[in-house]
Amino acid sequence: MNIKTSRDVLAEALQAVGRAVSARSTVQILSGILLRAEEQILEAAATDMEVSIRARVTAEVTETGAAVVPGRLLLDITRVLPAGEVALAYDANEGLLNLRSGSSSYRLNTYAAADYPRLPEPAPGELFAVPQEPFFATLARVSRAASRDESRPVLTGILVRLSGDRLTMAATDSYRLSVKETPLAAACDRDVDAIIPARALGELVRAGQASREEHLQVAVQDNQVMFGSNAAWLSARRIDGQFPNYEQLKPDGFEGEARIGRDELADAVRRVAVLAPRNTAMRLRFADSKLTIRAQTQDVGEAEESLPVAFSGESIEIGFNPQFLLEGVESVDSEEVRIRLINPLRPGLLAGERDDFWYLIMPIRLAS
Amino acid sequence: MIIAHLDLDAFFAAVEELEDPRLRTKPLVVGGDPKGRGVVATANYVARRYGIRSAMSCAEALRRCPHAFFVRPSRNRYSAYSRTVWDCVREITPTVERTGIDEGYLDVGEVASDFGEARAVAEAVQISVRAATSLSCSLGVASCKVVAKIASDRRKPGGITVVRTGQERSFLAPLDIRLLPGVGPHSERRLSAAGIETIGALAELDDRELSTVLRGKVGRLLRHRAQGIDPRALAGPAEAISISHEETFPRDVESRTQLYAELNAMAGRVVERLDVLGQAGRTITTKVRYGDFSIRSRSRTLAEPTDQAERIGEVACQLLDRALQDRPGALRLVGVGVSNLVNERQLPLVDSSELQESSGAAAHAALTVRSEQEDGPHGT
Repeated sequence: MNIKTSRDVLAEALQAVGRAVSARSTVQILSGILLRAEEQILEAAATDMEVSIRARVTAEVTETGAAVVPGRLLLDITRVLPAGEVALAYDANEGLLNLRSGSSSYRLNTYAAADYPRLPEPAPGELFAVPQEPFFATLARVSRAASRDESRPVLTGILVRLSGDRLTMAATDSYRLSVKETPLAAACDRDVDAIIPARALGELVRAGQASREEHLQVAVQDNQVMFGSNAAWLSARRIDGQFPNYEQLKPDGFEGEARIGRDELADAVRRVAVLAPRNTAMRLRFADSKLTIRAQTQDVGEAEESLPVAFSGESIEIGFNPQFLLEGVESVDSEEVRIRLINPLRPGLLAGERDDFWYLIMPIRLAS
Repeated sequence: MIIAHLDLDAFFAAVEELEDPRLRTKPLVVGGDPKGRGVVATANYVARRYGIRSAMSCAEALRRCPHAFFVRPSRNRYSAYSRTVWDCVREITPTVERTGIDEGYLDVGEVASDFGEARAVAEAVQISVRAATSLSCSLGVASCKVVAKIASDRRKPGGITVVRTGQERSFLAPLDIRLLPGVGPHSERRLSAAGIETIGALAELDDRELSTVLRGKVGRLLRHRAQGIDPRALAGPAEAISISHEETFPRDVESRTQLYAELNAMAGRVVERLDVLGQAGRTITTKVRYGDFSIRSRSRTLAEPTDQAERIGEVACQLLDRALQDRPGALRLVGVGVSNLVNERQLPLVDSSELQESSGAAAHAALTVRSEQEDGPHGT
């Protein structure tokens, strides 16, 4: 392998794949970035076996070939190089990568490219297009409800369902559930029903926002889902298992409904939450056209705020985790939030003016 | 900070003596049946001369002193005395932390500005307790809990020991390492194997030596205590830190089915208490005692607190299996405890046990909404 490119182009490729470099894998080679030089193309790739990312940039290739270079190291080097041309030459006999830029030069030990795992690749006929903007917008509404607890893998994923011209995503960490349905301008070529790691989709958003393409190319295989374009490919391992049936989790009816300005509510929750550290309850009392939000920390103090609210139903006091509540309120995209409640031990439902999004949140049982 | 530790002297026995003054000059043991499998709860000072100690089996106590009087504990009576004691202590030092029916800490710093005054406060407490109940108590006064606690035991019965700031280390140094709160049988074995017999010897260890004897946090905590350093403040009104229920069988039990049934029934009793307190717990413990008196306990901490009898019973039975796998045998006692208690509990939308079952098994039916109200007798 022998190539020339600019620092910025190299940095672009490395940064695109950097987030998939495994940070704590026991498999050493996964801490590396695979560099592969083909005709006028430099491809960088990284995987932690859950998410794989490949990025392609143009380069002046005088000799094709491949090497796996320690990922963090290479990223750190590109960050401090001066702007300008960078030359990469791989010495296969020594197993060394020579990197030159201006008067600086590095010789880096490498891993053998042959030992690097084969990354998933879409077969030509598998690809179909999904409009990127609605895909990302839908994802943004639900992704925060996904769980980070690895002991329940299904909940660390987002259910992505594409059926004709209807895209649905759902996520839950078992304490709240968020569901968004989005109509698409046209039906997609294929249907999808997959649980995809929330983390992988987060990386996709980061990559996608940079590319600003109109459509995502998608391929769904038995174990993998692949997204991308010519510039970069991201593949994510599909999560096995049954996603909770969210329609059944939605209660049939509610006892009371409140309408509150979304921003006012979010601000009030943020202010009172200062006195409700992690996992402790924030008390919401709906009574007499007024919502009173309170939080109290033993030996520290308490906070209280009231706001006017249109509330129908009997007065009720209910406790919520402030973070779950705030994330729900922020996920509503209309000026007004509808909060629907049953009683202090049953789920509450947050929604906007339309019914295409709902966020179910379980209360914290309050101490009497 | 000036803290006193108050310890009532031979409390249960002292109450019994008050109820029946004839017992005062006789060896008296409060505890279980000496012909059965009871243990000594408290012995009076006469009985202690025969070598009778708390937690000894009553049969052993009877062997050491065949003419001892054995009395069954009357807990209600002790509770009533204890309340009176603490009511009159609070009149002198308003902030107290009861750590047991017969002991607790007093915030003396609230009413005394130096150790001279603190001694006077301790004397006032003693006099007041004696006047109200005729009971005798011992107090230790020091700058922190651990030293106060050890000091209260130095001049029993009826003594007051004051350890002034700066004297903590020299006071503790010659004392037996076993007197240091926090040194259990396990740490004691390790310390003794390393030739550390006194609190002073532990206090002198450097980091490297310490790490070879006692690992991690526990080691550093115990060394701090040995040095007379203990930042713990008085805890607020005593809340339950664990709820447990246990039962000694009339005869050792080997049948797993019967043990499961016992554990499940006890889980129900524990849940009754949780309900009263409005609490849920994350850690479940099963305790077993074998025919030879040895005790084992196994615990598991759940991801989320629970107050469900079925869940507690299920985990308790699994823990029993684990204990019996490690050491099989017939049991004279089993117990179920719940700790890591919380008042407020995040309710789940999706039941975790159902989720476990369904993950990976596509054929499983959908999960259902879980409603606390439909599940159990909780009010709103």
